[in-house]
Amino acid sequence: MGDAEFGYGSSLSVDSMKVIAESLGIAALGDDAAKELADDVTCRLKVIVQDAMKFMHHSKRQRLSITDIDHTLKIKNIEPQYGFLQPDSLPFRFASGGGRELHFIDEKEIDLSEILSAPPPKVPLDVSVRAHWLSVDGVQPTVPENPPPLSKEAQKLESVDPVSKLSKPTNKDAAGKPMCGKAARLKASESVHVKQLATHELSVEQQLYYKEITEACVGSDEGRRAEALQSLACDPGLHEMLPRMCTFISEGVKVNVVQNNLALLIYLMRMVKALLDNQSLYLEKYLHELIPSVSTCIVSRQLCLRPEMDNHWALRDFAARLMAQICKTFNTSTNNLQTRVTRLFAKALQCPSQTNNESGPSMASMKESEKTPLASLYGAVQGLAELGPEVVKVFILPRVRWLGERLEGALSGVGGADRLAAGNLKHQLLKVLAPVVRQLRQPPDVAEDYKREYGYLGPSLQQMVSKLRTSPSAGGSGSAVAVVTCTPPLVPTTPSPAFVQAPQAKAVETVATRNVVISASPVLQTPAPVTPPPQKFVIVSQQKPPQVQPVSGPGHIMVHSSQPTLVRSQNVQAPVSVVAKPVFARGGVAIGPSQPQPPPPELDDLSHLA
Amino acid sequence: MADKPTPLLAVLQLLRKYNLKGTEEILKKEASLGDVEIDNIDLPEVELASILTSHHTESDPYTYEIAYDSLKKFVENSLDMYKHELSTLLYPVFVHMYLSLILYDHNEHASNFLEKFSSEQEDYYQDDLKRLAIVKNKDQIKGNELAEIYSSNKFVVQLSRDASSQLKRYLQEQKSSTVIINIINNHIQIEVHDGPGRTQAQVRATAGGILGEATKNENRTKVYYGLLKEPDIQVLPAPVEDEEEPEETPDKPKKKKAKKDNIFMKKPKSDPNAPPNDRIPLPELKETDKLEKGKAIREASKRVALGPESLPSICFYTLLNSGNTAISADICDDSTLLAVGFNNSTIKVWTLTPVKLRGMKSAEKLQDIDREAGDVLVRMMEEKDRDTCRTLFGHGGPVYKVGFDPFKTMLLSCSEDSTVRLWSLQCWTCLVVYRGHIWPVWDVRWSTHGHYFVSSGHDRTVRLWATDHHQPLRVFAGHQSDCVQFHPNSNYIATGSSDRTVRVWDCLTGTKVRIMTGHKQSVFTVAFSVCGRWLASAGACGELMIWDIATGSPAAALPPAHTASIHALAFSRDGTILSSGSLDCTIKLWDFTAITDEATNEENGNSSTAQKDDKFLLRSFATKNSPVKSLHFTRRNLLLAVGSYEGSS
Repeated sequence: MGDAEFGYGSSLSVDSMKVIAESLGIAALGDDAAKELADDVTCRLKVIVQDAMKFMHHSKRQRLSITDIDHTLKIKNIEPQYGFLQPDSLPFRFASGGGRELHFIDEKEIDLSEILSAPPPKVPLDVSVRAHWLSVDGVQPTVPENPPPLSKEAQKLESVDPVSKLSKPTNKDAAGKPMCGKAARLKASESVHVKQLATHELSVEQQLYYKEITEACVGSDEGRRAEALQSLACDPGLHEMLPRMCTFISEGVKVNVVQNNLALLIYLMRMVKALLDNQSLYLEKYLHELIPSVSTCIVSRQLCLRPEMDNHWALRDFAARLMAQICKTFNTSTNNLQTRVTRLFAKALQCPSQTNNESGPSMASMKESEKTPLASLYGAVQGLAELGPEVVKVFILPRVRWLGERLEGALSGVGGADRLAAGNLKHQLLKVLAPVVRQLRQPPDVAEDYKREYGYLGPSLQQMVSKLRTSPSAGGSGSAVAVVTCTPPLVPTTPSPAFVQAPQAKAVETVATRNVVISASPVLQTPAPVTPPPQKFVIVSQQKPPQVQPVSGPGHIMVHSSQPTLVRSQNVQAPVSVVAKPVFARGGVAIGPSQPQPPPPELDDLSHLA
Repeated sequence: MADKPTPLLAVLQLLRKYNLKGTEEILKKEASLGDVEIDNIDLPEVELASILTSHHTESDPYTYEIAYDSLKKFVENSLDMYKHELSTLLYPVFVHMYLSLILYDHNEHASNFLEKFSSEQEDYYQDDLKRLAIVKNKDQIKGNELAEIYSSNKFVVQLSRDASSQLKRYLQEQKSSTVIINIINNHIQIEVHDGPGRTQAQVRATAGGILGEATKNENRTKVYYGLLKEPDIQVLPAPVEDEEEPEETPDKPKKKKAKKDNIFMKKPKSDPNAPPNDRIPLPELKETDKLEKGKAIREASKRVALGPESLPSICFYTLLNSGNTAISADICDDSTLLAVGFNNSTIKVWTLTPVKLRGMKSAEKLQDIDREAGDVLVRMMEEKDRDTCRTLFGHGGPVYKVGFDPFKTMLLSCSEDSTVRLWSLQCWTCLVVYRGHIWPVWDVRWSTHGHYFVSSGHDRTVRLWATDHHQPLRVFAGHQSDCVQFHPNSNYIATGSSDRTVRVWDCLTGTKVRIMTGHKQSVFTVAFSVCGRWLASAGACGELMIWDIATGSPAAALPPAHTASIHALAFSRDGTILSSGSLDCTIKLWDFTAITDEATNEENGNSSTAQKDDKFLLRSFATKNSPVKSLHFTRRNLLLAVGSYEGSS
């Protein structure tokens, strides 16, 4: 045997025959007999498999299944093999060692008593039929039922190797993409083939969509915003609008940072989050716009008009999480994204004269303007913390002493805003550092040691660490869990003093909100005579996690006006409310409570964005 | 049995076969063979022929390689104009050399020979070679289907007159090539055609059949590919207008009629290619059928004209939670019902409109109904609405094909359990089980006029049935047919096969009227064009070809756009668009007008050299991981497609 053309493993070897014979109780099978048998069995098996292919073809499958073999045996008048039922294909495992190679099927040992005692398995779902438009007058609508016009792989390839797009002729596979009427007509009638780099032209529908989405995202109506963000996060086929979206975001951030417009910055960051979450988009090409915007929102000196009152900390947290997500998704060995982002934050933590004097000059001797603002320090710390405990260990821990000095200065100072910032920074630093330190140091934790090593923050850190050590919940779990906390999505707040005290309560308010949009295309189609216009259904449901109590205690404020659901009653624990409402024209129809909402004062700035 | 008497026995068997008693007696006496031994002779035909013909060369396996090499050299060195035609000889000679090497027990040489030369064979023969390579000794030949096909049939090679005389000269000159001479004499049928040698492209266009090309003579018979005159069109306008315009003005009916004729009778009234209407007895239309026809015509008047400029809309029906279990699907002619055949031997019928599926009343209740009443058909159904989906149980194996009859009252299905079943869509039970096939039935199709249907099975027969007979009216035997299709005029059927041929059979005479080669892969589905002249066939690896029934020649081989096998083909109702659905989860639309225009142009001599790769393919639509099982154009030219979602892996 050993015909190279038949490939490896397509025939039974003499050894296998002997092993099989032994397992049947035939001890000494002669070499000749084994060879004869091996040849014969191989031949028979091949014939069976080839006939089974026929059954596979007629079952309109591309994978051979066990039933195919059974049917083949049947037409050959051979008793089928009973007991080999497998709904899917069998994965062969491969093992090698000692110069032998082995393919086998991973068979698990099944405990019968377990099966008997287990509740009966669920009845599988019945087959059902669902209809959707694959094409409307030759144009494929970009609805979730259809594949995205440009697959993520293709987008990825394009961003890695832009030449690939040039080498491809205007491929008809991508023909499903919505083209505006003119382009379609051109394409059909064109006799001279003009090679285009890319279509930068957006159809009227896409322009409308863009306008609606951007307006809704930064508008005052929280319901519409939730809907728009949902659309950004779920709808396929947005890739053509991505350049514009990203420019919108980056320009918006630029303008609103100058204007100190916290609410809009938050809205823009939520847009970034939605785009990141969209499974059909590959954002790498647009990172050069997104990263500066996001990092601005993390480390900017001032993000709001009244730093002493507004909760810009939440924005920094949120943006830091976004940055971590971006790093995780797009970091490659070529773009070194994570390294570059880390360096960026680390630089902010660098004390200006650290290079000449490790112990640092006395704070008093430094001019106030030379210092990195505390808010930026907070952002940098948060940004680094989100990247993981290792980063914290390398970049934050060595600077603890210096940070402590800054904090000490600020806390003892008189400026209200500074004090608040210092308090926040301290809290954050402790939260971030404690798990890392806990891993680094062995108990016992002596306050003096801490003081010596970490300076001003030492004692508090020591308390925190020992608290961590004793608390059972954080017991075995790694430090990373504690660092990267899962924080609910951001909702900007109308400035209210009470809010600063209880930012968490507000944020939790929306955590359970989940909007499911089963929709037709985001692109409105030109109505066809034979096709009814696609309807858009927005199903809004709310489920409250049990741990959140809807009590409005002192310091907790329920801001119902910004609740993106239809559930209006105070009883937020109402199980599920499903509302289906066609919103064909996005403009005008807003889902959400119609309670009067005090528009944030910053909204005048919309004009900058439009 | 000892070596020595084998040839003798073979000779004896041959004598017996030809009933030459005297010679047989003498030979028996001379060889002193007992009766016992002779009674045991039962040499397979294959062996017999080989033993007798090449008895004297059997001893030397080395001659094979030399002979094949010399034949190859001869082909390579011949003039370009003969070269390509002559090269078609190489494959059959190669195969038969391999088989005879094995027959004479030179197994080692055989496998060396195969290894050495198999890679040189044409790509479309590689699959066959792999199947053949399984045969490694004499005993295995008997069980091997392919080897049997090769040894019991002649491989057809077409050569021009000059090329064949070249070949003759070569064979006479070469003394050592008795092997080749034997093979050519016994296993190869050389068809000589007048005219110049063909080019490589021409040879390739028709090559690929398991037994070589179709001969010209086989496709000589006239095929009445035209459409039948629709008898009911004259009957129908009256009810149609009654409904659409209650008050008739004397002028209007005529206008309407003229317009209608424009739409429905594009061809002249007396189509010269149409068969006589009574060539095949067609069933009388029932009142309900006429109503249905009338509805069809009304619908068709609202049809959208399609073309490269105006592509059809596609509505895709996804079967959820079906995994790999859904095999076949069909949508009835008026696009209100969807039937799906499953792996687990059930059939499900869904309604695609808000009208629910209703059953018939029970027998006692039916007795009370006044049979003379005008609305008896409505009255006999259950009053209360029933489900949107009904399941039909009865088969004992995967259901490979389901099909609605043209009048939406019955459903046919065929299955692995080797039966064809007829189901009623009124009482939702099985009416008839047609037995006859002995192995799985792959395909079943209704005639466009109902009443007749045709089925094809693994037993290498195609059977024509009428619903009122439990036995087939015709059995078309001769090749492995994997798919069948009725011609729109119900006089012919087409079959596609895994032997890479497409054949057309006459239902009246039961004879094969066309055999068309050129497919390089198995054929899985065939479809007649609306006008009846063209036949589209598609199969494994996304191969799609168009044939001209009039001549039996390939009209176009469409560029391989699909990456997996095509299992669904559908022509738009106006015949301008061909759609193909494949396992690679795409539906592609082809400009059929352009394809036929080009084909007719080429016939007239002015062949265009334009690159046609891109020209015919209009658009491709990808589905979300849902292989396409069935395609259907509604009467208004909306394309409906059915596929089952296979998960997002």
